[in-house]
Amino acid sequence: MDWIDFFEKWIWFGVAAIGFAILFNVPKRTLIPIFIMAALGGSVKLVLLHWGDSLVLGTLLGAVLIGFLSIYAAHFKHSPPFVFAIPAVIPMVPGSYAYYTMKGIIKLSNNSNTTDFVPLLNDTITNGFKTLFILMAIAIGVFAPMLLTRRDSAKQIKMPLLKQDKK
Amino acid sequence: MQKNQSIEIGALLLEIGALLMSAGANTNRIRLTMRRIAKSYGYKAEYLITHRAIMLTLQNPNGDLAFNQVKQTYAQVPNFMMVSGISRLSWRIVDENLSVETVWQEIERLKLLPKYPRLIILATVALACAAFCRLGGGNFTEMLIVFLASFSGLFIKQELGKKKVNPYFGVFLASFITTMICGVIGIWYPFQHDNMAFVTSVLYLIPGIPLINSISDIMDGNSLNGIIRALNGVVISFAIASGLLIAILIFNAV
Repeated sequence: MDWIDFFEKWIWFGVAAIGFAILFNVPKRTLIPIFIMAALGGSVKLVLLHWGDSLVLGTLLGAVLIGFLSIYAAHFKHSPPFVFAIPAVIPMVPGSYAYYTMKGIIKLSNNSNTTDFVPLLNDTITNGFKTLFILMAIAIGVFAPMLLTRRDSAKQIKMPLLKQDKK
Repeated sequence: MQKNQSIEIGALLLEIGALLMSAGANTNRIRLTMRRIAKSYGYKAEYLITHRAIMLTLQNPNGDLAFNQVKQTYAQVPNFMMVSGISRLSWRIVDENLSVETVWQEIERLKLLPKYPRLIILATVALACAAFCRLGGGNFTEMLIVFLASFSGLFIKQELGKKKVNPYFGVFLASFITTMICGVIGIWYPFQHDNMAFVTSVLYLIPGIPLINSISDIMDGNSLNGIIRALNGVVISFAIASGLLIAILIFNAV
């Protein structure tokens, strides 16, 4: 893996998340954690894509990492976790796969040639299911800490390495 | 006196619920916040939360009916500063026993909090789309094209929003105009990476909040709200897709 290329992508993941964070009008104190979380989640995805060759699994693990980091960030910066998590996972949204799916569907609607039809259908359905599963992986990853700890509020989740006042 | 207090608290709970719903919080968060505040004042709250209206019934500590009202929610504008502010406020109500008047003052203060300057919003969102282009494998010239297209597209979307155009139609027009700008520039500068500029320039429109909230609502058991949000997200995606497709067909890029 080319490390300069990797580091450059790290920055672009963060920049993309910051753009959406500002579009959603987050508090100013949350911008730096969002940048770092998006960059870390994005790098997990890139590393898994490089060594594991599975986009859905990589996205799921990246989103889970962002989900757990958002609980930490919520304790430090006093905002609900999803304020951090939603802007941070948006750079992982599979825009290009959605585009190829749509492009495939248009091509299929114009196609009258039987020999081209099957490979085209194959590609389109693969891209469509990838889009769907990546979107679900993102949503479940963000939600994972709440699912696993079965708490109502992030304030009740005891995080390791973090001092908390007992209630 | 007791009766007036229950009316004040009921109105406060409904206002908080409506603000959270319009700012993009998920249903479980609204339920928990409303229950937490009602409990700290000693009332028992039962509610029905939907996308467009919130129905609330308050019982006073003796178990008698104290308040019953329906309130329409506001237009959906993502505003996480409001969600964060109300979350902190609800914990302060529990910990410090704030009076109802103080809470109203705090809510008015949260409503008046300054947003980011418009130019900064436009520039950072356009930069985010350019970053998507780079992540998808585009080069720096394509990033510049994407930046210009998203900047103008978001500007048009905001203007349409001010004129109270149907939001889905606004998304459609914004997506169409963004991709048209990309396409027109693409005539002089042919894209090298399979129309990556087309795809990434419309990504500022993606309905991230409805789609993620829909899954979390469904998992919390608020299936009806989850389905409404999912449908909302799907219709926005469809609006983006149709704008994009028309531009692609015009430039024959398929």
